[in-house]
Amino acid sequence: MTRKELITSLKKIIKPYVQDQEAFKNLSEETDFINDLKINSANLVDVILDVEDEFDIEIDNESMEKMLSVKAAMEIIETKLAKS
Amino acid sequence: MIGNDIIDLSVAKLESNWQRRGFLKKQFTEHEQQLILAAPNPFVLVWKFWSMKEAAYKVYAQQNEVRFFAPKKFDCLLMSEKEGLVNFKNQIFYTTSIITRDYIFTLATLDKAIKAYSKFVMPQFIDRMIKIKLEDVTAFSAKEIKQKKKKNRAPLYYYKNILLTKSCSISHHGSYGVFSLLYP
Repeated sequence: MTRKELITSLKKIIKPYVQDQEAFKNLSEETDFINDLKINSANLVDVILDVEDEFDIEIDNESMEKMLSVKAAMEIIETKLAKS
Repeated sequence: MIGNDIIDLSVAKLESNWQRRGFLKKQFTEHEQQLILAAPNPFVLVWKFWSMKEAAYKVYAQQNEVRFFAPKKFDCLLMSEKEGLVNFKNQIFYTTSIITRDYIFTLATLDKAIKAYSKFVMPQFIDRMIKIKLEDVTAFSAKEIKQKKKKNRAPLYYYKNILLTKSCSISHHGSYGVFSLLYP
C-alpha cells in the first residue's frame, strides 16, 4: 500500500468523527486529531478500533498512546502491516 | 493544578457505543470492566469512569507538558457516589463527579483540599464567561484580560503581565460547556 492509499483509507475512517470540516479538507500528515480536526477524545478509541478492523491489525497499548495525529497513525499502521 | 471533563450523555449515547468490541478492553482496567458489567446502569458508569480518567489526564498533562492517549493506565477507584481516586504512575488524583440524567461532570485535583471554581456555560461562550468571572474576582476589565495558550497546552489568563489563573481547565461536549479555575 502506498502512502497515498494509506492516507485515503485513514481519511475514510476518521471522517465520521471529525468536527472541523475545514481542517479535514486541508488534512496532511501533520494534522492533529484533537487540536486540528476537533475529534472528541471520547471518540479516539473508535478511530483506533476502526483502524484495527479496516487493516486487520492489533494496535497495542504502547502504540495507542501515540495515536494523536495522522502521521503517528500512519507510522503505526505501516509498522503493524509490515509485521503481519 | 486542576482538570475537568464534561460528558453530554445524549451525545455519548448517539456518538459512541460502549458495547462495541474492544471499547471496554482498550480503555478500562479489569476491575473497572467488572464494575461496569455488574452495574445497574453500565452506560453511566462507563462515562463516569471515562470522565474521571480524562479529568485526571488533564491535570497530569498540564503538570508534565505532555500529550498521549492511555485511558486504561488511569486506574479509577470509587470512594463514594461523588468522590473518587485516580491512580496514574503512582500519583493520586482526587476526583469529584456530578451526575445528572443529562450530563456527567468531573473535576480532578492533586490536593483534596483544593477549592476550585467551576461554572457551566454554553460551549460557544466559555472564553467570554471566564473573562467576565475574572473581572469580578480581580476588578480588571474583561476587555483587558487576555488568554494566552501555548500550543497544545491548557489556557492561562492574564491582565497585561499579571497571571490571573493558576490553573484553568475547559471542557465541552454536545450542549454543555464548563470551565474550572484555580486562582493564584
